[in-house]
Amino acid sequence: MDMKLSRRRFLGAAAAGAAASAMPFGSFRAMAASPFAMQASWINDAEFAGYFLGLDKGYYADEGLDMSYASGGPDVIPESTIITGRADLTLTTPDTTIKAISEQGAPFKIIGTQYQKNPIGIVSLKSNPINKPEDLVGKTLAVPPVNVISVEAMLKLNGIDKADVNIVPYAYDPTPLIKGEIDASLDFTTNVPFTISQQGAEATSFLLYDFGFTIFNDTVVVTEETLKTKRKELVGWLRASRRGWEENFVDPTVWPPKWADSWFKGTGRTIENEIYFNKAQQPLVESPNGIFSMAEDDIEACLTALGQIGINGSRDMFDTTLLEEI
Amino acid sequence: MAGNKQWAAPLRNVVALLLVWEVVGRLDLIADGALPGVSEILIGLWNDRSDYPLHVWETLKASGLGFVIGNLLGVVAGIFFVLIPVSLRVFRGLNIAIFALPPIAIAPILSLTLSGLTPRVVLAALGCYFVTMTATVIGLSQSDSRAADLIRVYGGSNWLIMRMVQFRSALPSILSGLRVAAPNAVLGAILAEFGGGGRWGLGAYLLGSLGRAEPERLWGIGVVATLIAGLAYGVFALMSHRFVGASRAVTMNMSVPEKAGDEQSRPLSSILAGAMAVLLPFLFWWAFIRLLDVPAMISKTPIGVVEYLFFSPAAQSAQERLIAALWETLPITGIGLLCGLTFAFLLAISSRLFPGFLRAFMPVALVTQTMPLVALTPLLVLLLGRGTSLTLWVTISVTFFPAFVILAQGISMVPRATRELAMAYGASAGQELRIITIPASMPYLFAATRLTVPRALLGVMIAEWLATGKGLGNLLNQSRGYMDYGMIWTVAALSVILAVVFYQLVVVVERRVLQRMGMSTAE
Amino acid sequence: MPSGGITFHGVCKTFSGRGKTIEALRDMSLSCPSGSFTAIIGPSGCGKSTAMRIALGLEDADKGAVLIEDREPQDATRAGLTGVAFQDAALLPWRSVRQNVEVPLEVLRKNIRDFAPDVQHLIELVGLKGYENALPGELSGGMRQRVAIARALVTRPRVLFMDEPFGALDQILRRQMNLELQRIWQESQATAFLVTHGIDEAVFLADRIAVMSANPGRLSVVIDVPFERPRKPELFSDPAFHALCDKVAEVLHGGQ
Repeated sequence: MDMKLSRRRFLGAAAAGAAASAMPFGSFRAMAASPFAMQASWINDAEFAGYFLGLDKGYYADEGLDMSYASGGPDVIPESTIITGRADLTLTTPDTTIKAISEQGAPFKIIGTQYQKNPIGIVSLKSNPINKPEDLVGKTLAVPPVNVISVEAMLKLNGIDKADVNIVPYAYDPTPLIKGEIDASLDFTTNVPFTISQQGAEATSFLLYDFGFTIFNDTVVVTEETLKTKRKELVGWLRASRRGWEENFVDPTVWPPKWADSWFKGTGRTIENEIYFNKAQQPLVESPNGIFSMAEDDIEACLTALGQIGINGSRDMFDTTLLEEI
Repeated sequence: MAGNKQWAAPLRNVVALLLVWEVVGRLDLIADGALPGVSEILIGLWNDRSDYPLHVWETLKASGLGFVIGNLLGVVAGIFFVLIPVSLRVFRGLNIAIFALPPIAIAPILSLTLSGLTPRVVLAALGCYFVTMTATVIGLSQSDSRAADLIRVYGGSNWLIMRMVQFRSALPSILSGLRVAAPNAVLGAILAEFGGGGRWGLGAYLLGSLGRAEPERLWGIGVVATLIAGLAYGVFALMSHRFVGASRAVTMNMSVPEKAGDEQSRPLSSILAGAMAVLLPFLFWWAFIRLLDVPAMISKTPIGVVEYLFFSPAAQSAQERLIAALWETLPITGIGLLCGLTFAFLLAISSRLFPGFLRAFMPVALVTQTMPLVALTPLLVLLLGRGTSLTLWVTISVTFFPAFVILAQGISMVPRATRELAMAYGASAGQELRIITIPASMPYLFAATRLTVPRALLGVMIAEWLATGKGLGNLLNQSRGYMDYGMIWTVAALSVILAVVFYQLVVVVERRVLQRMGMSTAE
Repeated sequence: MPSGGITFHGVCKTFSGRGKTIEALRDMSLSCPSGSFTAIIGPSGCGKSTAMRIALGLEDADKGAVLIEDREPQDATRAGLTGVAFQDAALLPWRSVRQNVEVPLEVLRKNIRDFAPDVQHLIELVGLKGYENALPGELSGGMRQRVAIARALVTRPRVLFMDEPFGALDQILRRQMNLELQRIWQESQATAFLVTHGIDEAVFLADRIAVMSANPGRLSVVIDVPFERPRKPELFSDPAFHALCDKVAEVLHGGQ
């Protein structure tokens, strides 16, 4: 038992060390700070601006956290990193988390959400616009295989037979949409329309959220054990991250250019794209109750929407008490 | 002067090819501009020059480390297998399983269970091990048996024979193994970078660049990856070329190695070795999970997979999805295999008929092997749609190269005298091929088929994953998103088992046919 | 009774391949006295190479035994009592002439430097002075064969085995090599055991010719060769020489 624990801790520490050494911008202010690892859900882009800002300005250090940040990718299953102890906290989607809790008994708790409204939506060209679910009938829609169930739920909620829409895989590249090989794709509406405009076309989009699939995204998830043993650190993380996000949104055009040679260096994306992203995501992140907050109505709506696709969660999978302590 | 002439024709072909590419690309003739011109790619590379060094360095680090580890293991294992022949049979299952591991099924599992640079190194090493191990075994066992006898008559041990004769004479074979392993290592590292969520590496760069809808960038990354792989390929090709001259036995070894039939005469040990061969891959799988100490929810042992597939509450739905996926994947795999082999065979034959063609074609062939397919998906989808033709194209492009290399080797090894015999009676090139070369290269056709089977399955799965949204490839991807770990491990295990079963089927057919033809198998 | 040389005592050997068994040697007994030169001749498949491989410890006899200088074959080889030249030179292509000659010394873990004068002497003896650093690929067939002979002699063997050492050479070169071999052998005073296809070669070189026949492989007769040593090239045109050759040929054909 002991050996197991120590080895697991060793693995976690090694991963954190590797991540920290890869990030030259880790905090060095607090020497006695407690190590804390977060796993993001995707590669470095404006989606994680608040955390970059918090790290740069030492907000995590102020909370006594020696934070290490790991970017995500297609093969990174965020929840896996917190089960293996490689990260203390992760950003992910509520559907996967709740499915894992309800079907496999995974010991997860959702303690906040970055996006009040899931930014995922149906993107199409203005020249061949798809403005509402009904427009999809008879069209070809590219969807990342991961999200097929979400799209099917949205279709169902709007009374459309999924057999009427030709769903094909989406491989991260919008070229087929721009060239008209597909009619629409499912992607972050905060992101792709920029690319499309760069290619000389104009995009239009709608959120799945606005057509009944009312779920959060980039929900903050921890294991029950971490919740018990690192509550103080978690609250500190929420507070520091909220500070970072709030400052970022004071003017969403300010920060992305400053990270051109740090967080965004060599990501393959452009700074203009990040500015567009940062602006577009602001209304989806901000909340009257403060960033990360989860209102009872919204939790309810999230659970209902997931129920539509056979993912049956319950209120106790969410823990809003940490938010109250910020 | 002769050297110049030898290079003039292929050089001219390459230049012509690049020119056509440039014109077609610049005029946006292909797929409405999804294929950029050569100069556009170069300009893009220049513009992005500050991005590349760190990414390239990271990829070099991971693939280099994987290359060293994988090949070291391959050579050591090869030596071990030759010194203790029974071990080759015991490890057979594990070796084939390692070869058959579909990288796209393994990458998520590696990212799941390992961290940091390790998944990249492991995937790169996995791409090297089998190739080099096989090359080592072949090289060692084909060394001059008379020279080995010489050492033995002075009381030399097997180990001394290994040191003084076999290893040195196997060097060219090992080096040519390393040559093939080099692009595998680069591609393996890039694939792991693509999915693994790291900050640097060409794979990570590719992922970030995909969303830009700028084919120049994607091709630029592909070109850089190809350059790295091609450079490694070239270095080892040069080294093996240098060594070959001094290693080939000066005269032909006519003495047939006498392998007594004691393999059949001891059925018990034979069955035991067979059983071990089947068990060992599962044992390694189990040990991998135990040693890494990954929580049971994420990692499934063989028993875990059986439980998931047959006894869990989700068993029925899992079985149904799996069978539906298999039904979609298997037929097209068979067709893809046939197409890939046919293409490779035609290519090998024509490279014999038109040797200049081969030299011009090699660089192009190498690009198709190192250009990450995900970067080509938009182009392919625009050109071919998302149906069977795309799947076949991807499968052919994934399968033809290794098959072609083996077939070309087989065809080039048909003794000159035999060919000239036919020519002396006035046979046309076509007749000669039909009567001499094609039958003589049958063992190589089978060897190519064996090696192509797992790759065909991989090709189909890649196409399903990237474009068609059907079958096993899609099921794998979807399960990934839904943290359906049971299904992830099931698909990975099943694809390996399928590949191994097909491989064995080919082996059985091969033995029958070759025995009837009085030939022995080519490794 | 210790006698030195080579003795075969009722040696039997069968090989089993796919469902077939081949009787390679049936009850072969032969003794080659110390310092004598014995040639083994016979059609292909008569077991002459097998007999030699058993004597060298490369194969085990099913029945019977071979003694080399009164020792088990493997003891004798390990003690460096034997030298061997194969049908083909079997040189290591990446080693120079000198390094190839040194191979047996290396296997027997001798200090190569101590043997440097011997090696040089042998290379000169076989007429390859000036080619010490050449690679086998740069030599003609005859020269390669001479390297193999030098290599066989480098351990100063008490017993020298040769399996058609000149099989790949043309007639002219072969006669030349036969002369040289006689000279070298006389100088070395070793017991020689030569497996050959060539009747004239056997008659010219050997004190005794053991004629074998095939299916099953067995020894049919031993013929003594009375000519005086050293034998001169003129012997090849001597009527007595031809008469003996005819006799051997007769036995060979009769044996089939």
